[in-house]
Amino acid sequence: MEFGFTEEQEKLRKEIREFFMNELPEDYEPGFNNMMGEEVQDWWIKFKEKAIKKGYYVPGWPKEYGGSGFTEIEQSILDEEQGRFGVTWPDFLGLHLVGPSLMMFGTEEQKKRWVPPIARGETVCFEAFTEPDAGSDEANIGCRAEEDGNDFVFNGQKLFISGWYEPTWLFTLARTRDIVPKHRGLSLFLLPADLPGISYRPLSTMGGGRQNYVFFDNVRVPKDNLLGELHRGFYHAMQVFEFERRMTGDAAGGKRLLQELVQFCKETTSGGKPLMENPEIRKTLAKLAMEIEVQRLAGWYSAWRFSERERVGPAPYELSNYYAKKYGASHAKAMLDILGLYGQLATGSKWAALAGRIERMWKVTRSLHAGGTFEVIKIVLARRGLGLPRIPGNMMKAIGEAVMKKV
Amino acid sequence: MDFELSKEQAMLKKEARNFLEKECPEELVREIEKGDQGYSPQLWRKIAELGWLGIIFPEKYGGLGSNMLDLMFIYEEMGRAMFPSPHLSTVVLSGLTILSAGSEAQKTELLTRISDGDLILALAITEPDAAWGDKALDPEGITVQATAEADDYVINGVKLFVHDALIADKILCVARTQDGKNAAEGITIFLVDADATGMHRNVLKTISGDKQCEVVFKNVRVSKENIIGPLHGGWPHVAKAIQHGAVLLCAQMVGAGEEILRITVDYAKTRVQFDAPIGINQYVQGHCTDVVSDVEGCKYITWQAAWKLSENMPSGYEVAVAKAWTSEAFERACLAAHAVFAGYGYTSKDGVLPMYSRRGKIQQLYLGNSDYWLKKVAQQLDTWTFERPEGKALGFWKTSPDEEIPAWKVWTNEDVLEV
Repeated sequence: MEFGFTEEQEKLRKEIREFFMNELPEDYEPGFNNMMGEEVQDWWIKFKEKAIKKGYYVPGWPKEYGGSGFTEIEQSILDEEQGRFGVTWPDFLGLHLVGPSLMMFGTEEQKKRWVPPIARGETVCFEAFTEPDAGSDEANIGCRAEEDGNDFVFNGQKLFISGWYEPTWLFTLARTRDIVPKHRGLSLFLLPADLPGISYRPLSTMGGGRQNYVFFDNVRVPKDNLLGELHRGFYHAMQVFEFERRMTGDAAGGKRLLQELVQFCKETTSGGKPLMENPEIRKTLAKLAMEIEVQRLAGWYSAWRFSERERVGPAPYELSNYYAKKYGASHAKAMLDILGLYGQLATGSKWAALAGRIERMWKVTRSLHAGGTFEVIKIVLARRGLGLPRIPGNMMKAIGEAVMKKV
Repeated sequence: MDFELSKEQAMLKKEARNFLEKECPEELVREIEKGDQGYSPQLWRKIAELGWLGIIFPEKYGGLGSNMLDLMFIYEEMGRAMFPSPHLSTVVLSGLTILSAGSEAQKTELLTRISDGDLILALAITEPDAAWGDKALDPEGITVQATAEADDYVINGVKLFVHDALIADKILCVARTQDGKNAAEGITIFLVDADATGMHRNVLKTISGDKQCEVVFKNVRVSKENIIGPLHGGWPHVAKAIQHGAVLLCAQMVGAGEEILRITVDYAKTRVQFDAPIGINQYVQGHCTDVVSDVEGCKYITWQAAWKLSENMPSGYEVAVAKAWTSEAFERACLAAHAVFAGYGYTSKDGVLPMYSRRGKIQQLYLGNSDYWLKKVAQQLDTWTFERPEGKALGFWKTSPDEEIPAWKVWTNEDVLEV
C-alpha cells in the first residue's frame, strides 16, 4: 500500500506542471478551449504542437505510434495535471476513444492508416453514436448502413454530436441488419467527416459549447472503413468504454478551482471580515475539500487498478465516473452559492467574481449526461458491479407494449 | 500509488477475520451488550495471546512493533465482527499516549502490562459543558482542575463519555493544571487508580449498549509520579492519540460497511416481492449503489489516513477528511441498507443491520463527528496558498484585471446558425 508517489513520478509531475505553466498561451482560460472562436484556435493548435514535441500528447501509446513510453500511473499524473489546468485537446475523442479502439480491433492496415495522424495531432474525431431515439438506449440506433457492392450506404441522423472544431473523422455506430436483440445488428465505422452526403447543423448549448446534428444522406462509405467485426459494433463500443478508465483529471480540476475559491474567500471581505471567517462558508468549503479528496482517491483507485489489470483483474466497481457525476453539479451549486448574488455574473460582466468562472461551470454541469447519465451509471454499477438482476430485453418490449396500449 | 495489501497485510487481515468469526459470533456480541462489563475477559486473554494488545508497541515493551496499517486491518475485522472490547481505550488512546509521553519506567511497566493483557485503561477527555459545543476534544474544553498540594495533585471535576471507565484498572485523566493564553499549554495527563478515593464511575445507557461512563473526581489525590508526560504539556500527546483513534474508528466502519454491502445486495437478490427479486427495481438498485459508493469512499480515505500516520507524515488533513467523510457516509450506507431491508432490518432479533446501525452512530460521534472534523479541514484550508502570477486577478489564468478579457464571445442562437 502506498498513497504517495515515487521520486521519479514527483519529478515528472513537476516537469509537466512547469510545461503547462510556462507554455500555455497568455490568454489561456481553463475550460475555455471548447468554446473559443476561430482566431483563438490558432494558438491552441500551436500549443498542441509543443505538447506533441514534448511527448505529452499520446504518452502511453506504443512507440511506433508516437508514444513516449509513459506507464499507466505516469499517464494518470499527466491527466491530473492536465485536469488541473483545464486542458482538453480538441481531439479528445481521437486520443481516448478512437485511437485505443483502433489498436484493440483495427486491422494492421487500418492502424497504419489511421493511428499516426491521430498521434500527430492532425485529426479531430467526433463520436457520432447518439440519435434522437437512441440516447441511453444506445442499441436502438436507427441510422442505417446498407451493404452495396464495395460500400456501405449510410442514411439517418445523429444528434448531440460534440464539438466546435471541424471534424476530420466520424466514429459512428450504424445499423447493418435488423435483428432481435437490437444490439446485435450494429457495426462500428470510422469515416471521413467530409464524405459527400454528410451535413451538419450546429446546436448551441446552455454551457456555451457547440454540439451538432449530423445527417447522412446516401453517403457511400468504403467497406474498409468498417472497424472490427460486422454486426458486433455494440460489443466493440462497450469494450472501448471499458477501456477508458483513467479518471484522475476531474478531481484535479475541481481541486484547483477550490483552491482559487478559498483564496478568493480570503481576499474578499464583507462587513470588514474575510468571507473565509464566515462559519457557513468555511463548512461548505471544507465539505467540498473532503468530497474532492474522495473523488481524487476513487480516480486513483481506478487508475491503479487499470495499470495492474493483467495481474489483479478488472476492478469490481468503477466509481471514479460515479463520483464525477455525483459531485459535478452539486459542487458547482455549492461554489456558486458561496458567491451569492455575485455568483450569477458571467465572464465579462462588471462585478463578476472569480471572472465568472463558477457561473460558467454551473451551466456546464447541468449537462453531466454525456457518456451516460448518472442514473445509467448507477444501473450499470448495480448490474455489473453488484450482480443485481435486470428485466430481460424481450420482456421489456412486451411490458412497453402492454403499458402503451393501456395509456 | 498502490492500493494493494502486501502478502503479510492480507494474511493478517484474513487471520483476524477467521479468529473473530470463530470467537466473536453475533450471539456473544448481543450477550456482551446486555452485560455490565462491555467485553469478554476470556476473549481479551486470547487476543493478548495473539499479540493484538501490544501490536503497535515496540518489542522491548512486550509488543510486536507493527505499524498503524497493520492495526487498521485488524480494526476493519473488529468492525465487521462488532467485536466489543476496550481495545481502543486501552491500546490506542491510552497506550499511544503513554508511548508518546511516558517516561521510560512508565512505558516499561504500563505498556508491558497492557501487552500481557493485565491492564485495562481508559482515557478521560470530554467534559459535560464542552460536549454541547465543538470543543469536546479540544484543549479549550478541558476545565477539570488539578491543583498542586505538596507531592500530590488534587483533581476536581467531571468527565463524560469515557469509554470503558468502569472496567479500567486505571484512568488517564486529561486535566488543567494552569490557565494561560494558549489553552493547549497547561494541560497535564494524570494516571489515576480505579480505586482512588473520591473517584466515582457511573455507566451511561447508550444507543448501542457500549459502556461509556461519567467519571466524577472529588478531591482525588494523585502523586506527581503518576503524571504522564510533561507538566502542562500533555495536550500534543493526547491530540496524536485522538488522531489514531479516529482513523481506527473509521476502519471499523469500513469493515462493517463491507459486511452491510454484502448482506444488502444478497437480500436484494433473494427477497421476492411482486413475483421478482426486489433487486430488479431501480430504486432498490440505487440504494445498493449508494451503499457501495459510500463504503468504497470510506475505504480509500481511511486507508490513506492510516498510511500517512503509519509513515509518520503530516496527516492533519488526511485524518480530518477521513473521519469527517466516513462518519457521514457510514450512516448514509446504513440508512440505504435499512431502506432495502425495510421491516426485516428493523426488528432487533432478525439480523445484524440494527446492530451495525446503532454501533455506527457511536463510532460516528466518538472522537469527533463530521462537523467537528470539518472544522479541522477548514483550518487546513486556511493554510492553503494559491500560486498565481503577481498582480493577476483570481479566475483568470494569466490575465491582469486591467487587461482585456480573452477573445471569446457569448453565443446566441444566431451566432451558431451562421457557422
